[in-house]
Amino acid sequence: MSSIPEYMTKKHRECDEFFSEAEAAVADKDWSLALAKWQLFASELTEHLAQEEETLFPQFEQATGMTSGPTQVMRMEHQQMRALVQSLDNALAAKDKDEYLGLSETLMVMMQQHNMKEEMMLYPMMAQHLTDGEQLIEGFKANEAV
Amino acid sequence: MNMSGLSFNALPPIDLPFRFFLSAPLFIIVCALLVLFSGEILWFSRWQPNMLALMHGFTLGFLTMVMMGALLQLLPVIGGIGIGKPRFIATTSHALYSAGVITLMLSFVLANNWLTLTALVLLSLGLGIYLGAIIWVLIKKMSQGDSINCFRLAIASLTILLLLGILLLANKVGVTVPFILYDKHLTDIHALMGLVGWAGILIIAVSFQVLPMFHVAPNMPKYIRQYLGVCTFTLLIAYIFYTELALGLLFISQGGFALTLLYVINQRKRKVPDTSIKYWKLSAATLLLLNLLYFLPDSFYSSTHSPLFMALPDKTMLLTAIFIYFYLLSVIQGMLLKILPFLSYTHLQQRCLVDFSAMQFIPHMHEFLNKKHGIVLFYMHIMSGLSLLAVIIMPSLYFIFALFLLLEFVWLFVLMMKCMALYFSVNKKINLSNTA
Ligand SMILES: [Fe+2]
Ligand SMILES: [Fe+2]
Repeated sequence: MSSIPEYMTKKHRECDEFFSEAEAAVADKDWSLALAKWQLFASELTEHLAQEEETLFPQFEQATGMTSGPTQVMRMEHQQMRALVQSLDNALAAKDKDEYLGLSETLMVMMQQHNMKEEMMLYPMMAQHLTDGEQLIEGFKANEAV
Repeated sequence: MNMSGLSFNALPPIDLPFRFFLSAPLFIIVCALLVLFSGEILWFSRWQPNMLALMHGFTLGFLTMVMMGALLQLLPVIGGIGIGKPRFIATTSHALYSAGVITLMLSFVLANNWLTLTALVLLSLGLGIYLGAIIWVLIKKMSQGDSINCFRLAIASLTILLLLGILLLANKVGVTVPFILYDKHLTDIHALMGLVGWAGILIIAVSFQVLPMFHVAPNMPKYIRQYLGVCTFTLLIAYIFYTELALGLLFISQGGFALTLLYVINQRKRKVPDTSIKYWKLSAATLLLLNLLYFLPDSFYSSTHSPLFMALPDKTMLLTAIFIYFYLLSVIQGMLLKILPFLSYTHLQQRCLVDFSAMQFIPHMHEFLNKKHGIVLFYMHIMSGLSLLAVIIMPSLYFIFALFLLLEFVWLFVLMMKCMALYFSVNKKINLSNTA
């Protein structure tokens, strides 16, 4: 059994890993490797954001009654991250190295800041307020195995 | 649980840190002119009045100026809370401090007591206001954490350095405090507190944060994060009583930091070519070289029987110059290359949280600071650094150093202006789209 902070933080690191590999491949102009790694990253990120938006955030909002607080800011940042992911998709399709690297630096910094807020504040608060946190994570893991 | 810690938009307005950043290169441009007009004599001793002016131009005018601006921004990002009344504090402290540094430099060059007195008042007020605001946050509101603890030690060093500076200046205009020995040792403590305490510990604290954040590097080992800052600060205090021993240990601990830096950088996941990484590596290599130079037997320095093909110049001057130019300035420039686009982007991005459609106007980070322009800065820095070493060995080469210095920092100033200009033009577009 793993806690919310433990599991979700681990997922952030996995995303970073795929992301960095894709970026390094683009810097080397190895476009097929870049695409493979990028897709791994994109699907990991999509799943992670969905776990937050569809399960963890609503549960947290219900448990604390805070619907317009931190989770709302996190949702808006997800929206911005998705927009950058879209632009990166386009840059990759166009094999535009400079554009990709400029965008990837941007997304990386935005993601790191976002993750830091979640890891330092939001996840610990969730662990405190959600009594069934570990079950929720088991649910995520079961979904992943399918 | 303290919910106010979750205020995600505690960032002070961007023009506040930027005014510190933009003024910094201007001080080095003044330094370059000082080098040009002082001639060879400047390099004969570290006690030359113009050399003191030059030192303070670099350390106060550039390094401290940038660090003051960066700290305004870092406290909210890392600690979740910024200083109170940021506009008032930043504006007044920046104005008083800038005027203070210029007056101080002039007071050294012109050896005028009234200027010294004015500098003393301006600097104590400017730094005092700034320190007061920061200390209030660090004591009352800030959470715990290794970086935050190092910030506290860096700020403590800055306070000590300021107090010693005030004592030294007061002594120059004839006010002496009993029981204090005004000798070179006091000046050395003052200098070391600034270079290794204030600048050095702050860099250590910042490295804990920025290497994982910008380069997806692993965290520094726990014992380094917990003890390096405290250990450095303790050694600085020990230096007052056990000069030689403490200084040696300070060099070794900085060397340990360098090895850790190289290890962490090597383990980073983001391997994409990056100028800031080049700056970090240069900085770490510099610390290791300094260890070598420090522990080299004295016979290598200014002796007629040097084992090298020539005797090394004055040891203190050489080591101080290398530490400031190749270590401190390198780290700060590497940071600026990250911070300038990062701040510009983050501020604009925060505005688009409410108006998502305006996201389309925000350029990506490399547009704020072109990567190629950053690499040019790096090589210019190496060139002017090498010319500094040359001038220490052969003072008649001073004009080459002045020229390279001028070029490098005009270039840095141009990069900053470009970044700011783009920020304001995008900001305007977002304003228009909001009103539309
Ligand atoms: Fe998230
Ligand atoms: Fe997350």
